[in-house]
Amino acid sequence: MRQGYLYRFGSRGSKFIPYLLLAPGLIFYLVFSLGPSVATAGYSFTDASGLVGSKANWIGLDNYKEFLFMGANVRDNLEITLRTLLFSVIVTVVQTAFGLLAALLLDMRLKLSNFFRTLFFLPVILGATIIGLMWTLFLYPLGGPAQQLLGLFGLRSEFLGGPPSTVFYWIIWIQIWANMGITMIIFLGGLQTVPNELREAARIDGANGWQVFRNVTFPLITPSFNTNVLLEIIGSLQAWQLFLVIKGPTNGLNVLGIWVYALAFGRQSNNPTQAAMRQGYGAAASMVLFVIVLIIGLTSQRLLARRERRILG
Amino acid sequence: MKRKWVIGALVALFALPMMAAAEDVTLELLIHQNQALVDYINAFNPKFEAKYPGIKVNTSVVKADELATSTQTRLTANDVDVIDMFGFAQGIQPYMKKADKPNWQSLIEAGLLLDLSGQSFLKYYDTPTIKDAGSFNGKVYEVNTGRYAFTGVFYNKDLFAKYKVKVPTTWKELVAACDTFKKAGIPAITCGGKDGWPILVAGYGILLSAYPDQAALVKGLWDGSIKWNDAKSLDMWQKMQVLARDLIEPGASGIGSDGAPGRFASGAAAMLAAGSWDASNIEAAKPNFKFGYFPMPGSDNAANNKFIAGKYDVGWVVNAKTEHKDAALKWLAFFSDPGNYQAYVTALGIIPTQPTAKLDTTIGKEIAPYLSTFRLGYELLWVAPKGAGQWAQPNAAFFKPYNQFDDAKKLADQAQADLAAGLKAVQ
Repeated sequence: MRQGYLYRFGSRGSKFIPYLLLAPGLIFYLVFSLGPSVATAGYSFTDASGLVGSKANWIGLDNYKEFLFMGANVRDNLEITLRTLLFSVIVTVVQTAFGLLAALLLDMRLKLSNFFRTLFFLPVILGATIIGLMWTLFLYPLGGPAQQLLGLFGLRSEFLGGPPSTVFYWIIWIQIWANMGITMIIFLGGLQTVPNELREAARIDGANGWQVFRNVTFPLITPSFNTNVLLEIIGSLQAWQLFLVIKGPTNGLNVLGIWVYALAFGRQSNNPTQAAMRQGYGAAASMVLFVIVLIIGLTSQRLLARRERRILG
Repeated sequence: MKRKWVIGALVALFALPMMAAAEDVTLELLIHQNQALVDYINAFNPKFEAKYPGIKVNTSVVKADELATSTQTRLTANDVDVIDMFGFAQGIQPYMKKADKPNWQSLIEAGLLLDLSGQSFLKYYDTPTIKDAGSFNGKVYEVNTGRYAFTGVFYNKDLFAKYKVKVPTTWKELVAACDTFKKAGIPAITCGGKDGWPILVAGYGILLSAYPDQAALVKGLWDGSIKWNDAKSLDMWQKMQVLARDLIEPGASGIGSDGAPGRFASGAAAMLAAGSWDASNIEAAKPNFKFGYFPMPGSDNAANNKFIAGKYDVGWVVNAKTEHKDAALKWLAFFSDPGNYQAYVTALGIIPTQPTAKLDTTIGKEIAPYLSTFRLGYELLWVAPKGAGQWAQPNAAFFKPYNQFDDAKKLADQAQADLAAGLKAVQ
């Protein structure tokens, strides 16, 4: 029993110390995270424009009815939701695979491991604006480096200015490139907890490299795998910054994250006019996004936790 | 005696900086990215500061399509005093059912814009501008400083002369002119396609030729008498497709709206589809460059191509909650002074809204023949019905290579279906 190592906050004033220590974080969470989230839920039932001093009238479920059922919104929003899900699936699968591969290579402690670890992680510390600018320059369609490479084969492309079906996959790639470093670091942390003796024992028993990975290493990094998958699912479902920086709201390319922004700030058409700002309506759209993230996030978490229990006991 | 000196020194130490602080005002100004405007304001503010030594002006610049968002956030934070706002537009007409009011109206109703009625500097501006572009319910909230045309095309006079191309007055002539340049290895029309809206705006010239009465077009779309897939509209879509696919240079989607004037002035393309606001930017990029500006000939009937549409552009509004109201009004008054205003008009190439000012520049001469029939463009009048789909707008950028459509009929039908869905939903 490790009771002797515990400090008891039970006597007199000292029993309040844990609460005092928790208070700053709790207040920060309530004010900057939970508070705005609850307010957004409340806003979604109003016609708020988001302007200070403007009246926000209670309109019940009108925003939800408009977003989900009115006119062509049904088709447009369903299309945007499906595109968001596709984005999330591709990003999660590819980013996890690339992150794991990079971590495995770096875990072999080859020459220049530290250099490549830094190189792979570097995009994580760059902001979305810088990443967007870098890729925009690289993919500049009038003689940028990528265009010159294509030119060697007699080809050309509009790259980020082309049809949404092309741009969509470029943004997927940029999202993966920008975030793979975190996935890699989490996997590396997991790999370092795998006892070498187990792998060596497997090799002595005649297992080849793939068999060691499949039957020893991969099961033992299940917690890292689960963490990565969950983070990527949630992160990619909420993605919007790269879409905004690279293209802005664009028909045929929008995902839910940027669509919420566009609806709230009157930017649906990428047109510098004076369209109405509808933050109440945008809040309703963000609640729909929240429900989607919640359902998918909880389901994934449950499935992944079950898998972890099955493997690790 | 010594004590008095100490007290005196302490008073001086604390009171003087406070007095100085009380006099010093930093006026926060928000404007949109138009290089000529930015350059003018950067040159104008020091003159204002010299006249009013206690006032400093700090200018923030945002992209045009982010101006409305920045306006809202900065008014909410109450950290801005004078804001550049496009002239009031997209007002709700009686036939627009369940439409949302425009952003400027929401700002006024929320009490965020200062009532400028009765300010002495308003007398310099023409009455219709004050009424149409800056008033609401009989009160003045914006001083609009000028109009720009946006349905025209800049052309390189030297290249036109070299290849013996006449300024096109019909669609066929425009296509033929573009073919001539393309055959000579010169991109025909460039455009700041990276920002999306310049291609949209380029198509508005074709829309104007098809529907010279833009207000009637908006009403017709709402009451169903005009459809996006009727014969006239289909012809418009087909021309927009040709514009996007064949006439605008490949790669234009990578050129920012602020980079396009420089590219055109360098002689890299024969024409530039852009608003007249880019005239100053072209001149700044290459001072002696010879250029002209003609209405986009969207019709094969030259009589339909004699119009230019545009918008009320830069206007000034004042934050109603500003702590620097006096300084803000002084800035507006100094800006509106006819001498300063004339310099502004010349620098920006903007169509003046002060009757005494003259636009005696290249672009002024180019658009002068069309000013008597100048009209507000479609985007200033159109308000989409709630529930209308995403394709229910006349946008050349919906075609390949910028978006997914490569069949004009298909897009016309889609646009009409999306519009009809909205109209049905608001009935």
